[in-house]
Amino acid sequence: MRRRLRSLTGWTVALATTTLLVTAVSAQQKQGSARAASSPAPRPATALATPASAPASNVYAQRFATVCAACHGANGRSEMAGTPVLAGQPAFYSITQLFLFREGRRNNEAMIAVAKTMKDDDLRGFSDFIGTLPPVPAPAPSTAPDPARMATGQALAQQHKCFFCHGADLGGGQQVPRIAGQREDYLQASLQGFKSGKRPGYTQAMTEAVSQIPPADLDTLAYYAARFTAPAGK
Amino acid sequence: MKHVRALMALATLSCFSVAVLAQQSPPPADEPGWAKGRPKTDTAMKMAPVPAFPIPTAEDKLPTKKFKLPPGFKVETWASGVLDARELRQGDKGNIFVSTLFVGNKVYALPEKAADGKRAPKVVIDKTEQATGIEFYKGTLFFATNKKIVRYDNIEDKLDNPGEPKVLNDKLPGGSDHSWKYLRVHKDKLYYNIGAPCNICDPGEYAKIYRMGLDGSNVETMAAGVRNTVGFDFDPKTGDLWFTDNGRDWFSEELPNDELNHLTKQGQHFGYPFCHQGSIPDPEFGWGKSCDDYVKPAALLGPHAGSLGLKFYTGKMFPAKYQGAMFIARHGPWNRTKKYADISVAWPDGKGGAKVEPFMTGFVENNSYLGRPVDFLVMKDGSLLVSDDHAGAIYRISYGK
Repeated sequence: MRRRLRSLTGWTVALATTTLLVTAVSAQQKQGSARAASSPAPRPATALATPASAPASNVYAQRFATVCAACHGANGRSEMAGTPVLAGQPAFYSITQLFLFREGRRNNEAMIAVAKTMKDDDLRGFSDFIGTLPPVPAPAPSTAPDPARMATGQALAQQHKCFFCHGADLGGGQQVPRIAGQREDYLQASLQGFKSGKRPGYTQAMTEAVSQIPPADLDTLAYYAARFTAPAGK
Repeated sequence: MKHVRALMALATLSCFSVAVLAQQSPPPADEPGWAKGRPKTDTAMKMAPVPAFPIPTAEDKLPTKKFKLPPGFKVETWASGVLDARELRQGDKGNIFVSTLFVGNKVYALPEKAADGKRAPKVVIDKTEQATGIEFYKGTLFFATNKKIVRYDNIEDKLDNPGEPKVLNDKLPGGSDHSWKYLRVHKDKLYYNIGAPCNICDPGEYAKIYRMGLDGSNVETMAAGVRNTVGFDFDPKTGDLWFTDNGRDWFSEELPNDELNHLTKQGQHFGYPFCHQGSIPDPEFGWGKSCDDYVKPAALLGPHAGSLGLKFYTGKMFPAKYQGAMFIARHGPWNRTKKYADISVAWPDGKGGAKVEPFMTGFVENNSYLGRPVDFLVMKDGSLLVSDDHAGAIYRISYGK
């Protein structure tokens, strides 16, 4: 339930660029249910909001195992360099990215080749299935996170309002991806790509959000989000 | 930028205020244009432009059966699976051209007659951002992105490979806010808009309607103070230009209204950014200005209505009262809590103004959009096509029969 409400909220804030937004994020998260009830829901993502029927879901569970798992992991937790974690990604985010690959706008040869074979129903089926994968925490790091760098990362994330769209737990929602526990190399490449213009977003939100952030700070943000764990007791 | 100017203005009053403000406000330098003037409340902060879904609504899920029309009219699905369907124009040989905005990056052609009850969109222009402005005239498809206007001659003879177009104007300013185009040809001139590059700002040479020769020569300003028009047409009786204009955002939930405007003299100024809906001076840019100095709207179209396509009805199928009326697509607000969208119809009152009524409703359910109308095309049989970018569909409205 909680996750569902967060998702609704994520949708409404989704395009809000992260600049200039209020900082009372934790207070907002606590009011999640009230906000979801009163805030506008601009678009009913009908196909995504409806749970996939059991047979369809089985079909795409099997196709995920054959098509996606080799690189992205059987449970969606990728162990492969540069390959994003899909576990815990919202269905809406996944379908926008599959769409960008199929259109050839997001530049990754392997993903373009896979997505080109997909019909609209496949985009829905795969992304609905990905939306059912629970988040999987990152494996314990060999060295503990550098406290100073984590503190800097947190300050930067506050300053650039990452929490406003990605949520206080950086878990995303609707077309906003989960970034908590995402692979650092993938986050780094994504943020640098948004800044250079090589990585198109489905909307302009990230391009605008990172345009004023120095590259070194983007790397710190990637370091921070990859190692981020939601505060306990939230 | 504006905030900087506001800060500087304050500085002349009191250095103390500046210090206080600087502490309270984060630096606004990277604020996107559409967010300028947005109140810093949680509710407003959560509102942002709504992108279209990347997959069109399946035909059996379209809202077609939910639409309500005046007695005698009916609506059917004319085409589905047309992702991000925006502007509609018809070629001499019958092809219906459909443009897109943020999601599609394409222009499609659809056949006039359905084969086996289906019309599959054929992509004629691809991989082009803001592939939105289209017009068809004497065998040529005119096509405008935010950066340039080009022409594809004899395109209907080479839909599979339209080739390289002839560039008419590559000096458009580009950008993202209100930079997409709407085109019409009238008396061998191509009319186009350049919208304000922001929600509210000093627009310079933006916020105008221009026209030029069909070869790109002789660019002239036709109207100024037009924040963003996404629909205009010429009254077949008088030849006058009528256009919708989207009002500024973030003023309040209920104000200002979008405008229906009527140009009677080249170069007229319609108020933006100084005066909104003909009666409300802007809280920032309105100082020292009077709304009486600008052309008043012919009619008000609702707060944050997103008034888009405008087309005079020139067919014979609809009852006599619709001859000479304008259809207006109200796409619906994104930055307003209560959503609404419809097709409205407006009649010039002969005194410069117009009377507006709802015509087709049913686009909103539980405060969510089922569909959002964008643009119109009057078919040869007098029926009216309507595009819907939200559902990726085109509907056909007919009367009688």
